[in-house]
Amino acid sequence: MNNFNLIDKFFNDTLSDKEATLFNKLLQEDSEFKEEFRFQKDLKKALQLNKRESLKATLQGFEKDLKKKKSVFTIKTWLAAATVIILLGIGSLIYNSFGNDDPKNLYAEYFEPYRNIVHPVERGENDGSIETKAFQAYENGDFYKAINLFNSVESLEEDDNYIDFYKGISYLALNKNKEAIEILLPIATEIEKGDYDLSQKANWYLALAYLNANEIEKAKSQLYMISHDNAFTFKKEEASDILEKLN
Amino acid sequence: MGNQNSNTTLELIKKGDQKTLKAIYEENRKRFLNFAKKQGLIAEDAKDVYQDSFIAFIENISTGKIQSLHSSVSTYLFGIGKKLIQYQKRSNYRLKTSSAVKINEIKEELDVNFLEENVTKEQRLLQKGLKKLGAKCIEVLEMFFLEGYILDEIVEILHYKNKKVLGSQKSRCISQLKEIIRHL
Repeated sequence: MNNFNLIDKFFNDTLSDKEATLFNKLLQEDSEFKEEFRFQKDLKKALQLNKRESLKATLQGFEKDLKKKKSVFTIKTWLAAATVIILLGIGSLIYNSFGNDDPKNLYAEYFEPYRNIVHPVERGENDGSIETKAFQAYENGDFYKAINLFNSVESLEEDDNYIDFYKGISYLALNKNKEAIEILLPIATEIEKGDYDLSQKANWYLALAYLNANEIEKAKSQLYMISHDNAFTFKKEEASDILEKLN
Repeated sequence: MGNQNSNTTLELIKKGDQKTLKAIYEENRKRFLNFAKKQGLIAEDAKDVYQDSFIAFIENISTGKIQSLHSSVSTYLFGIGKKLIQYQKRSNYRLKTSSAVKINEIKEELDVNFLEENVTKEQRLLQKGLKKLGAKCIEVLEMFFLEGYILDEIVEILHYKNKKVLGSQKSRCISQLKEIIRHL
């Protein structure tokens, strides 16, 4: 019976060499000892399984909450989008009456840095990583700093291109069109699927970059694709608005 | 400063703080799923792998394998995730035994194991039995078997009078469990 404390020591990983020898001997010769050890080993696994199941349930709960959040977000976004479209409509009526549809002005009118959805930076929360700092700078509109920091982010995966996406927009915000185009073009031409579609967003920003660079034909063909191709859902209305103004 | 912050995060994770877990889960989810999909996983599998990576990360914290965070949480999650995706591609996703796996991103070994495989009838029964056992017993058993505390440490943390009292409490819990199972 007293030998059972050897089982405790086994689980704590504190058996001495001598005790380990005794432990093995008992396992072979003492059926009660063996039975108890097996029971406790099973007990450990059962505890682990239960804990994992409850953690899994917690995570499923997070998924449910996300779905709820998403559907509320969608309704809100739609309402907001509808408002913006109406306002833009009124705005463009006024704007058009002045007949000022210079591509650069159109760029300025429509450009807005894509919100940081990849790496939300919560107020007061900072894990100190370069990536967090980069996105903080981006959110604060400090695009020079953001670019520098984005450049030092160690990408976890070569084709992890969301960092490039935000870097491209940062260049665009600084009117560095050549750099912006260079970065956004490969992302825009990469055909991706799923809800996390950077590529179509990159297409929109690429169009704006061409506008800003006064490369009208390229801008037009980008905008045509965005407004006419069914695969595109992002900034469709805006794209056809700009096209109309350009023509 | 950053280090201190990440170690507070570690403490909160260890305590099972729901807000912290949720924040980490949501912060890394999209990027992880995107990454997994790019590796050729379908959406449903990607989510599974993400949750499994998340669980493996938490387990390594509670067993004390991860004692302080040397990199950001996402580095750990992606490091574990990459391994799991590799295993899945080798079609032997559910590893049969617990195994220490070298995670390149953090240059450390972590335990990445899946226990669902080969669960015996006795173990299933014990799982059920544990759900009927009192919270105090579960606390002691988890600290001892899962979190790797020795009895002396548990005496201190849970304010037991001495090791003997705790020892007999633990034995009582185990006997109780045996009794419950007998009646299941």
